[in-house]
Amino acid sequence: MTLDTAISGRSNAVKKWAPAVGVVRKPLFIAGVAMMGILVAGEIVAPGFAAPEQIIKMLVVAALLGIVAAGQNLVILGGKEGIDLSVGATITLGALIAGNVMQGQDSMIAIALIATLAVTFGVGLLNGIGVTVLRIPPLVMTLGMLGVLHGSLILLTRGRPSGNSAEMLSNLVDDPLIFGLPGILIVWIGLGILVTLLLRRTLFGMRIYAIGTNETAARLSGVPVGITRTLLFGLSGMFAGLAGFFILGFTGNVFLGVGDQYMLPSIIAVVFGGTSLAGGRGGYVGTMAGAVVLTLLQSLLTTLHIDPSGRQIIFGATLLLLMLFYGRQQRLRS
Amino acid sequence: MTMHTSSTAGTLSSSRKFEFRRHPYLLAVGVFILLSIVNAILQPSFLRPAVAVSNLASFMPLILVAVGQTYVILASDIDLSVGFIISVVNVVVVTTIEALGGSGGAILAGFAAGIATGILAGLVNGLCVAVLRFQPIVTTFATGIIFAGVALWILPQAGGQVPAIVWRTYAGAVAGVPVVLWLLAAVLVFIAVFARTRFHTALVAVGGNMQAAYQTKLPVTRIRITSYVISGLFAALAALALVGETASGDPLLGGAFSLSSITAVVLGGTALAGGRGGALGSLFGAIILGLIANVIFFAQLPFEYQNLAQGLVILLALAGGVFVARR
Amino acid sequence: MPSEPITAANGTIPRSLPVLRASRIAKRYGGVTALAEGELELAPGEVHVLIGANGSGKSTLCKIIAGATGPDSGVVELDGAPRHFKAPRDAAAVGISVCYQELSLIPQLSVAQNIFLGREKVVARTFVNSRKLNDDAARLMERFQGVAGENFFPNTLVSDLSADQQQLVEILKTAAEDGRIVIFDEPTSSLDNRQVELFFGLVREMKSAGKAIVFISHRMRELFEIGDRMTVMRNGRTVGTFDAADATEGQIIGMMIGNDIVSSAQSPQEKSPQARSAKTVLQADNLTGRTLNGVSLDLAEGEILGLGGLHGQGQSALLRSLFGADPAADGIIKIDGKVVKVSGPRAAMALGLAYVSGDRGRDGTLSHRPVFENLALARLNKSHATYIDVAAVSDQVLPVAERLKLKYAGLGSPISQLSGGNQQKVVLGRWLAAEPRILLLDDPTKGIDLQTKKDLYALLAELCLGGMSILFYSSDDTELLSVSDRVLVFADGQVVDELAGERLTEFELNQAAFASSASAEATA
Repeated sequence: MTLDTAISGRSNAVKKWAPAVGVVRKPLFIAGVAMMGILVAGEIVAPGFAAPEQIIKMLVVAALLGIVAAGQNLVILGGKEGIDLSVGATITLGALIAGNVMQGQDSMIAIALIATLAVTFGVGLLNGIGVTVLRIPPLVMTLGMLGVLHGSLILLTRGRPSGNSAEMLSNLVDDPLIFGLPGILIVWIGLGILVTLLLRRTLFGMRIYAIGTNETAARLSGVPVGITRTLLFGLSGMFAGLAGFFILGFTGNVFLGVGDQYMLPSIIAVVFGGTSLAGGRGGYVGTMAGAVVLTLLQSLLTTLHIDPSGRQIIFGATLLLLMLFYGRQQRLRS
Repeated sequence: MTMHTSSTAGTLSSSRKFEFRRHPYLLAVGVFILLSIVNAILQPSFLRPAVAVSNLASFMPLILVAVGQTYVILASDIDLSVGFIISVVNVVVVTTIEALGGSGGAILAGFAAGIATGILAGLVNGLCVAVLRFQPIVTTFATGIIFAGVALWILPQAGGQVPAIVWRTYAGAVAGVPVVLWLLAAVLVFIAVFARTRFHTALVAVGGNMQAAYQTKLPVTRIRITSYVISGLFAALAALALVGETASGDPLLGGAFSLSSITAVVLGGTALAGGRGGALGSLFGAIILGLIANVIFFAQLPFEYQNLAQGLVILLALAGGVFVARR
Repeated sequence: MPSEPITAANGTIPRSLPVLRASRIAKRYGGVTALAEGELELAPGEVHVLIGANGSGKSTLCKIIAGATGPDSGVVELDGAPRHFKAPRDAAAVGISVCYQELSLIPQLSVAQNIFLGREKVVARTFVNSRKLNDDAARLMERFQGVAGENFFPNTLVSDLSADQQQLVEILKTAAEDGRIVIFDEPTSSLDNRQVELFFGLVREMKSAGKAIVFISHRMRELFEIGDRMTVMRNGRTVGTFDAADATEGQIIGMMIGNDIVSSAQSPQEKSPQARSAKTVLQADNLTGRTLNGVSLDLAEGEILGLGGLHGQGQSALLRSLFGADPAADGIIKIDGKVVKVSGPRAAMALGLAYVSGDRGRDGTLSHRPVFENLALARLNKSHATYIDVAAVSDQVLPVAERLKLKYAGLGSPISQLSGGNQQKVVLGRWLAAEPRILLLDDPTKGIDLQTKKDLYALLAELCLGGMSILFYSSDDTELLSVSDRVLVFADGQVVDELAGERLTEFELNQAAFASSASAEATA
């Protein structure tokens, strides 16, 4: 949109971005409607559901999912069946490293963050190298990595995970920082701006869309395809690590499998945000909305005091229902 | 899917390439033999018929579900819900048999209900993916959640018991041959016969180039639905084998099968992109996964190393499978 | 030279009752009108040529007749009865078969499996006898034996075939359907002359069997050789139908483009020889690779060096190896006399090379990405920018768009909304914006309309005046000869002749190409 005005101010050859923007905005619109619908429904069945402090609590959970989904989003945008199934285990690894470096001390937060991001970025790079150098399909590579990470976690912890969050980190996640918003939400919004800028205004971003849309053309146009894609997986690992870092702050300590519940939802959030699993189409703003919708939906089902089986059935059915609106494949008959 | 231009390359190397591409299961067979040898060394009793049969009995559920998954993947789709179909079918079978009193008729009714459930679940997947054109990964993830919910709803806690005859039969023999061997033979015959059908060619065509298959007048929608139904059916059979193995119901039993069935299919040389591979490879892929766990257990690694070793070996095998499938 | 317009009124009445009549067919894709008023009438036993510039609606009309897409309005009548096809199956059921421009083959299946896909003879309604399938396929493939090249067997996987072989399989697949109405949508674009001749033999047989055949091609000579009647389309409308014998090339081109560029359409602007210097910019020495058999050449500053010969004789492989897209296994490349190593496209770009492929769908466009990105991508990759200053970059690419006479809604609109010709201009523009010294053109006008071609010829001449050197491969001989200063004739991955001056004629070009391919075959 800013790109639009920048160009149209420049030349009258540029007239409309409307069609492109229309496509991008559609998922956002649906996500918005879904959010309102869930909030209203929640407020009706359980007054207080849509109270501001309640919403903020849910947004904190959404932020954790949204941070993981940022990496997932980048990998999926890069195309060639890009997907990262190892984010769940990477989150746990990140939380584990952060907790063990930090050991509850505020002074160690920065070092813990750096250590977490460095290691998880490295894990992601390994995925990327497997995908680009060994040419293993991403689903297979990250599935295999999931098993390796799982084994590593057991080895590292001997089944008894240790480490805990520093108070400052927990406060950042839980307590209001600015305008009554917890620090994690500020971080998330900042991240949203950064990722969006990265995608829309940097050469790296342009390369992501280029390899996601037409890898051959991108390569012939001088895009370093392998490096770009490897970095995407590296970033995905790093975002998972960052999420693990904050999840440590959120839960206070680490348990094995803490990240597992984020793996598939991170993909769902991306898809509901309007990013095509085929690559090359979509963006992070939609993904953020997707993460919020998913979280609201889960909260609503929890609030309704439906037993776990009913909750699952309704959650799954709602996902299917949402698929009706978008994320559909092209018709064979054009 | 790179386009090879015809070249004047040496005939020997090109003919060898041909072998591998047309028989992508060969690597899996090789790994299977290698692992069997290693296993036999580490566990001397491995080759004893009773041990072999009991191994096979415990691998059978994964073999079945992986074979079914193959047909979906051949058509370039994927089924993440198979594990949860197993869960649902498992509890349906056990509760039906219990509700009907555990007679012979009740057992048959339970099995029939289970198979019907599997087919129905596959049909739901197929309709969502092929008719409503939902994205396969997300769709089968969502239906998987639903199936898991239904399983929990039918049987909230693990329990229930099937009559002894069920598990005795599964572990027993018919005409002097263990039942699981009969099962294995039946699966092999099915794979061989099915690969020669017109439908199988159509499946490969749909997975290879869906648009071209449509233009060629193949009933693409029906083919994709059928592949999901087959997958559901095989998941149901896997659940029946599990009932024979565990003799009870557990709503959380199946979940892990979704990803491991995909692993088995890839190990067997089937391309996730569709159009290339076959169910025989998946059968060996499933056995390989079981043998890896066996070997690592009998290698007497310290407990905390076992998972990592298993993860690394599987990752290596996956990479190798992909590498060879590309040749 | 004003051309005499032919109208439907002075066209002829079909020899017999039409088997198929499509009337007032309209179709829109999103906001784009693909077909405004398509008309087509087919008689049994005729070869009906459908001709029009790219985007004139030929393919869309065919797709509607074949049921691959539905019309927004209009009627398709078969034997006088209106039909509404919901899917290709419906059309096939009444005997309409189509040979699609974008092939409908399955790479993972064998030639035989592809030819009979969905129509295999089965045992017990289920099982396929693959030996019989291969035998049946072999019988059909016999027709092209000798011109199809190596490894053309029933059990060869289609992914192992070359582009022309795949085209032959698509043709055989269509023929095997044995429809009453057969549509060939640009079946000859990747075939060489001998293959085309044998294909025409097949068409003539089908014709004498009473089938109605639609034939689409951009090669005028082919249209006159095989066509009985012609229907011309322009901008989504049928502008006329007439007997092939009554028409001349000039008249048809006049109807196709609807303005007066006819006489100059095929001939580029006069080149001014004094602009070319003797300075050699690019030298290749004994390049050898999978489909290159020791190619050497030198390219002078400001020169357009043409690469000719039959299709797929190494011209494209040469350009791709020079650009590092498929590096040659052996040989030396020199730029300005210095030996360089072109390990990949990025290295080539740094050396001032640019490569424009005619296969824009595969090698060029980033569909549904904005024109802006499609234009700026190479330039930005060449620079080491991190942050993109959209306004500044727009200023840099807009002059290129203007120079190309690009027709587009705006830099922000997706490239997929542009016509094929304009998309190709964008791909070329991407490289012009990167300011190369040496342009490698790999059949850049394949399947684009005459107006765009004309613009491109003028631009190439202009670029050379500015000192750019161009290697130009074209599958269109006329175009190649008129654009190039010299032409290297390729056969079997080698340069077999060099044409310059008076020898720049179609006769010489064909003689060189055919003489060498015949001798190559004799030795093989």
